[in-house]
Amino acid sequence: MESPLLIDDINKSFDQVEVLKSLRFELKTGEIFGLLGPNGAGKTTLISILTSLLAPSSGTAAIFGNDILTQSLQARKKVGVVPQEIVSHGFFTVNQVLNFHSGYYGLRKNQERIDYLLEKLALAEHQNKLVAQLSGGMKRRLLIAKALVHSPPLLLLDEPTAGVDVELRHSLWRFVRELHKDGMTILLTTHYLDEAEELCDRIGVLSKGELIALDETKKLIHDLTHRQVILTLTQPLESKPALPEMQVNKNIVKVNIAHQETVGELIKKLAIPLEWIQDVSITEGSLEDAFVSLLKQHTR
Amino acid sequence: MEFPAATSFAGFTTLLQKECMRFIRVAGQTLISPLISVSLYLLIFGINLADKIANQNGVNYLQFIIPGLVALALLNNAFQNASSSIIISKFHGDLQDLKVVPLTPSQIVWAYAFAGTIRGFLVGISVACIGEIFYVVQYGELLVVQNWLQLCWFLIAGGVTFSLLGLSVALFANNFDQVSAVGTFVILPLIYLGGVFFSIANMHPFWKMISYANPLLYLINGIRYSFLGVSDIDPSRAFLLTLFFVAGAYLLARRMVQVGSYTRF
Repeated sequence: MESPLLIDDINKSFDQVEVLKSLRFELKTGEIFGLLGPNGAGKTTLISILTSLLAPSSGTAAIFGNDILTQSLQARKKVGVVPQEIVSHGFFTVNQVLNFHSGYYGLRKNQERIDYLLEKLALAEHQNKLVAQLSGGMKRRLLIAKALVHSPPLLLLDEPTAGVDVELRHSLWRFVRELHKDGMTILLTTHYLDEAEELCDRIGVLSKGELIALDETKKLIHDLTHRQVILTLTQPLESKPALPEMQVNKNIVKVNIAHQETVGELIKKLAIPLEWIQDVSITEGSLEDAFVSLLKQHTR
Repeated sequence: MEFPAATSFAGFTTLLQKECMRFIRVAGQTLISPLISVSLYLLIFGINLADKIANQNGVNYLQFIIPGLVALALLNNAFQNASSSIIISKFHGDLQDLKVVPLTPSQIVWAYAFAGTIRGFLVGISVACIGEIFYVVQYGELLVVQNWLQLCWFLIAGGVTFSLLGLSVALFANNFDQVSAVGTFVILPLIYLGGVFFSIANMHPFWKMISYANPLLYLINGIRYSFLGVSDIDPSRAFLLTLFFVAGAYLLARRMVQVGSYTRF
């Protein structure tokens, strides 16, 4: 089976400034892949190349085996795109915009699918309103409906929840999970690391146009973060910290430990009497910790 | 998960339908407003001043300017339709949709060309009807078109050429001012100096020679010949040149669709 997306040595420069450097990776069928990176890392440039808005300086990509440069039309039919910026369609209603967008893909009679998307994205009651009359959140949902109107097997979401309220963010997450369950492959770029951690099966991290990490989300977090153990003692610890990454504040002791290390081993190492320990809490590392750690390593 | 099959011709017809619906939605600006200025031209030049202006090409002045005004309305509106649609889309940010969806450059070019031509046609026919009313009131008879087939050719060729030019200019432009500048400083003078209001037969040989370099002279005279059977230009020459203009404008527009700017203003 063809890979939903195969990125093959893509480079992109603007005025001799390299924005993407020898980018290579592949999406697996049916996965949600998170592409993370700080501002200016090249995420939107990559999406623009994949959707024919920009041409790569060298290299190429294939969408379900269709080269984006030489088989562009076939490739475009198989992908839906939700752009980062909200767009307007001043003259037309929500329903008309979706019908036009469907028609561009050759689907003139697609009202059933359009009605389904309007319902799913809570736009049904607004379908006869002009797009200009919609709120920002509704326009964002319309962009998602447009991207899905031709039932593409690959969906590119470029910061789909940027600037939307918490409730809408969570409803969009639920919707993305449903699409994933239906077998759609999704490439998601986002600045919300909790969103990526919640949704993505695998994560790629871009920094200054280079792919500096690519792994399963859990493995990335596991490999790049520590667990933090917080011990609350019955009395202040007077002795010096026994470990380099240990913080002592009166009767609170915070220590970062590796994932394979146990709390028992830690307490032995610290040589704290068991009867002094009033409470133990453990915080697992997050994707945000992994991301920060990775960027620190890369900028060193 | 099943993915529906798509037909490519539907993409073209959808874009054409969208472009037509756009100008119909703002019909007051796109279809009605041009008729006001044309009616004023007819009233002032064709009726009030007609007796003071010598016959042109052997016909009275009202007869002479009706086909000229039809051409003016057609060409101007065809240009405006494509250019304003693209510019507004750049402003709204939805022009990039055309790059993302599976439409070929030719499909995009022809959709805009036909939409502009349809608008030009509608305005042109309305102008012709108003001209007929003025003519009937003034002379008590209808102004009869001499050759419908030729008229259709020159109207279609003019509409397509100017729609394609509007599309090209708007895709080239990076702001509103650039489109407006091309319209005001290039297209409008060419239309007005292309023989809408006067025959170049009355001009000094130097200006006559310059006028022959104006492509609009051939379109406008082609339309006038079809209406009245009189022209400053040999009609077969006008036919061949307009064919050449359509081909040139198509190649330019196709190139601009491929390399032009889709960036949001």
